[in-house]
Amino acid sequence: MIPFTINGKEVQGEEGWTILEVARWQDIDIPTLCHHGAVEPYGACRLCVVEVDDGRRSRVVISCMYPIRSGIKVQTDTPRVANVRRWIVQLLLDESPGAPKIQELAKNFGVTPSRFKKEGVDFACHLCGLCVRACQEVVGVQALTFGNRGLRKEITSPFRAASKDCLGCGTCIYVCPTGAMEQVYQMVKE
Amino acid sequence: MNTEKKIGIFLCECGGKISNRIDLPQVIDQLRYEPWGHLSLNPYPCLAPGLAAMQQEVRDKGLDRILVGGCSSRLMKKRFTAGLAPVGIEKHQVEMINLKDHVAAVHEASPQELARKAAALIAGGLAGLKLLEPYEPVPLTFAGPALIVGGGISGFAAARELARQGMESIIFAKAQTAERVLDELHRTFPGCRLYCEDLAELLREVFTTPAVKVLPEQTVDYIIGGVGDYHLGLHQPDGSVTEVAGAAIIVALDQEFGPADIDYIGGGERVCDLLDFEERLVEGEEISPGKIVFWVNSPQHGQAVQKFAAVAAWRDSLMLARENPQVKPTVLYPANIALPLSGADLVEARVHGIGLQSYAPEVHPVVQSSYLSYVSATDHLEHELEWDTLVVPGVPRDPAAQAQELLRWLPIYPENGGRLKKSHIKFWPDQVPDESLFFTGSAGGICDLNDVLQQGKKAARGVLRLRDKAVQGKLVSPVVVHVDKDLCEGCGLCTEICPCGGVEHVKPGSGPVPRDVDNHLCSGGGTCAATCPHEAIKVLNNTAQQLEARIKAILGRMQENEILGFVCGWGGLASAEQAAVKGLTYPGGIYLISVNCLGSLDPFVLSMAFLNGVKGIMLAGCTPSHSCHYAYGVDHCWQRVNIVKKLLSLAGLERRRIAMGYVEVNEPESFVRMVESYMEGLEKLPPLPRDDKTRAKLWAMHATLHRPRVRWVLGTSLRRPTEKEFPGSQFNAVDADETMLEVLREEYTVSRIFKALTDQPLNPPDLARALDEPVKMLTPVLTDMAKEGRINIKGWQGGYPIYAMTKS
Repeated sequence: MIPFTINGKEVQGEEGWTILEVARWQDIDIPTLCHHGAVEPYGACRLCVVEVDDGRRSRVVISCMYPIRSGIKVQTDTPRVANVRRWIVQLLLDESPGAPKIQELAKNFGVTPSRFKKEGVDFACHLCGLCVRACQEVVGVQALTFGNRGLRKEITSPFRAASKDCLGCGTCIYVCPTGAMEQVYQMVKE
Repeated sequence: MNTEKKIGIFLCECGGKISNRIDLPQVIDQLRYEPWGHLSLNPYPCLAPGLAAMQQEVRDKGLDRILVGGCSSRLMKKRFTAGLAPVGIEKHQVEMINLKDHVAAVHEASPQELARKAAALIAGGLAGLKLLEPYEPVPLTFAGPALIVGGGISGFAAARELARQGMESIIFAKAQTAERVLDELHRTFPGCRLYCEDLAELLREVFTTPAVKVLPEQTVDYIIGGVGDYHLGLHQPDGSVTEVAGAAIIVALDQEFGPADIDYIGGGERVCDLLDFEERLVEGEEISPGKIVFWVNSPQHGQAVQKFAAVAAWRDSLMLARENPQVKPTVLYPANIALPLSGADLVEARVHGIGLQSYAPEVHPVVQSSYLSYVSATDHLEHELEWDTLVVPGVPRDPAAQAQELLRWLPIYPENGGRLKKSHIKFWPDQVPDESLFFTGSAGGICDLNDVLQQGKKAARGVLRLRDKAVQGKLVSPVVVHVDKDLCEGCGLCTEICPCGGVEHVKPGSGPVPRDVDNHLCSGGGTCAATCPHEAIKVLNNTAQQLEARIKAILGRMQENEILGFVCGWGGLASAEQAAVKGLTYPGGIYLISVNCLGSLDPFVLSMAFLNGVKGIMLAGCTPSHSCHYAYGVDHCWQRVNIVKKLLSLAGLERRRIAMGYVEVNEPESFVRMVESYMEGLEKLPPLPRDDKTRAKLWAMHATLHRPRVRWVLGTSLRRPTEKEFPGSQFNAVDADETMLEVLREEYTVSRIFKALTDQPLNPPDLARALDEPVKMLTPVLTDMAKEGRINIKGWQGGYPIYAMTKS
């Protein structure tokens, strides 16, 4: 058992567990977007950031992938963490102002659309990769993948063609946090 | 051993998503009299600490089945199965009740009200888990050669790969020498002579290696057995049948090409078919100098065929130009297909002076003497192409008669567009065992020679994988479907109905022998079990009896105005769950039960729900024909629901108490509308009457659906997987329906008489009064029943016989 503290509370966990997993088991709330119990963590949205003090210095890290270590002090609700999260939510909201889950997050963080708000897009994909991971890890096929890189990165099917692998099970739509998957699904499904 | 105390229930709070909406402590309170060994409330059972806690409970309390009340089983079941595997819990021992998407997120009722619903659904899950049976996979042997049938070119690639890996194979082919195979090649792969060098080498290897036996193609009389132990009956010229045994079957079928329709063009020798033209090339005939135009036509066969034809034409023209510098070939192809040619190909075309010209497909090219006029796709202007010889590529033909014979025995079915497909079933890879039936060749979809050879190689690797598993002793048959040999009368309905080839065939003429199941092919769709007239088939740990127990448990906690909803695991369930994701709500009076496929619902399960007092039943499945993941499961369900409707009206109840609906996986709005509309329609109906008379009628209805005769007639009217069109709904529908109704009416009357006579012996007039039927309706049925010995005459009273049940 590895002992450490979250928000001053003494907690412990097994080797390999992450901060997020232990925090959730202890009923400590950390917001997430790209994390899902069914798939391996991926660290795309950075919304789950926490401040970790390992005795030498204090850093802001993502809790969904940070393995717990003995003696670390985790703070989930410091001004520094709140600031990072607020910025992330701001950017997400400007990217897809119509998605219910994002709106709910924005409401919780008191964020309103900024002057960089995208026009004419309601449900933009945030490339959180939940659909791609669910397709591979849960369903066991590879009908979805990332295409392009950098600014042009997108979710698509291999070779951008209707996929023979796609079973039409709809798992990708179910896990999508923004609703952007529906359009891609129509394209991917044979 | 009292196993009932070994069920562990883990309820998930899901970070407030469930616990804020459902009063979970009250759920626990309502479940206190249920048989469980452990019940706890966890914040996130799906994360590592949660799984560790579950493992601990399983170890400490010796739990042998787990129920998780949380979210979608489609998404999360794998996680729990993997997480609990170290403590010996298997897939079928984990049951998930979706509290989040079926209760918490979609209803507006109070947390207490939702707690009652959650407890009912969980009680249902418990009732199903209680009937779980132990599960012993059966090890399989895998001895003998691979049988390669169908005569496709991919079979040779498979045989070579098998031979290289030290496995024997028998290949049935039309041609008996490598040269003959090459000479025949253009019938299936026109224009592929360019690859002849590679292929010739492959064939030489196949024909010389002792591990491959090449036998002449023979008529298939039967294919029986399953993976590891197939028997192929071959029809001999003298009328006898010889049997060849093998461990695996590879079906290599190629699409043959027939001549294109060129008669209407005329032109004699100057206009010819690509097949003929290639034959002349093969024979080494001299090609007259001049302009040769390859015209890719036949838009009615689709773009894939046109593309294939264009490539074939391009290759032939290349071959032609290389050897005959005096000819100038041009390929004229429709602009809506993309030629898969590389830069090097284009350079070669230029060097040999081969023209590649596209035409606008909207305007059909017109043939004149020596000229072909077409409209260019780039400038929309009509151009003319001069020709001395006009060559039109051939068109694909239906699979040959020989292939059709093969398809009778294997789960390979024709699709729309003439392609063949290995079973229609679409599944998650880990839901079915290793592939054990291999289908290769261009008959499955038009493709290049190289692709086909690759397919053959891949099939061979599949066979080798099975062999390696068998060597390690890991080739086991997962028991999915079990046939009770004592009950089975060998009618063969299941073999006909099964879309996945899971129920094995028997030798023709061997009479009514009990069926066997090849569980490697079985998908667990369960329509066979729901069809069997004698109820001899059961889908292990997914039985009708488990479903009945679940329904009874849920109904016991439902109010009389609430209804049951069955959703199929694909369209219905996915839409229901997405309704929750999208934040849609619908009335809480519908209790959803998900099944793999609606086709697995036995009709007596539905009647049992009515017998237990449900007000109405709604079923939501995939759209018939094109999106049902189990071929025609939803069609089968429609027939069964229709029977229940007929029985409801015979019992004097409203037919609309049961209704089917269809949704796709991404149509949560339609699902919500469907539920609202159905519940609104039922609002005006009173709850099911609970008086003795109605109960007796419902009992008779339930008993009718257990009658072998009814089940047989129902089974024969179901859609077969080989049927592209559905004759049941097309041909003489009214007469067929009336025949069915007649059978139902008779059997329903028999069941009612049974019920009445079980209570007390009666004479016909008293019986008629009890059943509210005229005496003359009953007397012929009574006479028949007495003849069959199911009832007997106990005595006489006032000139009437007194009938009583025969004690068995």
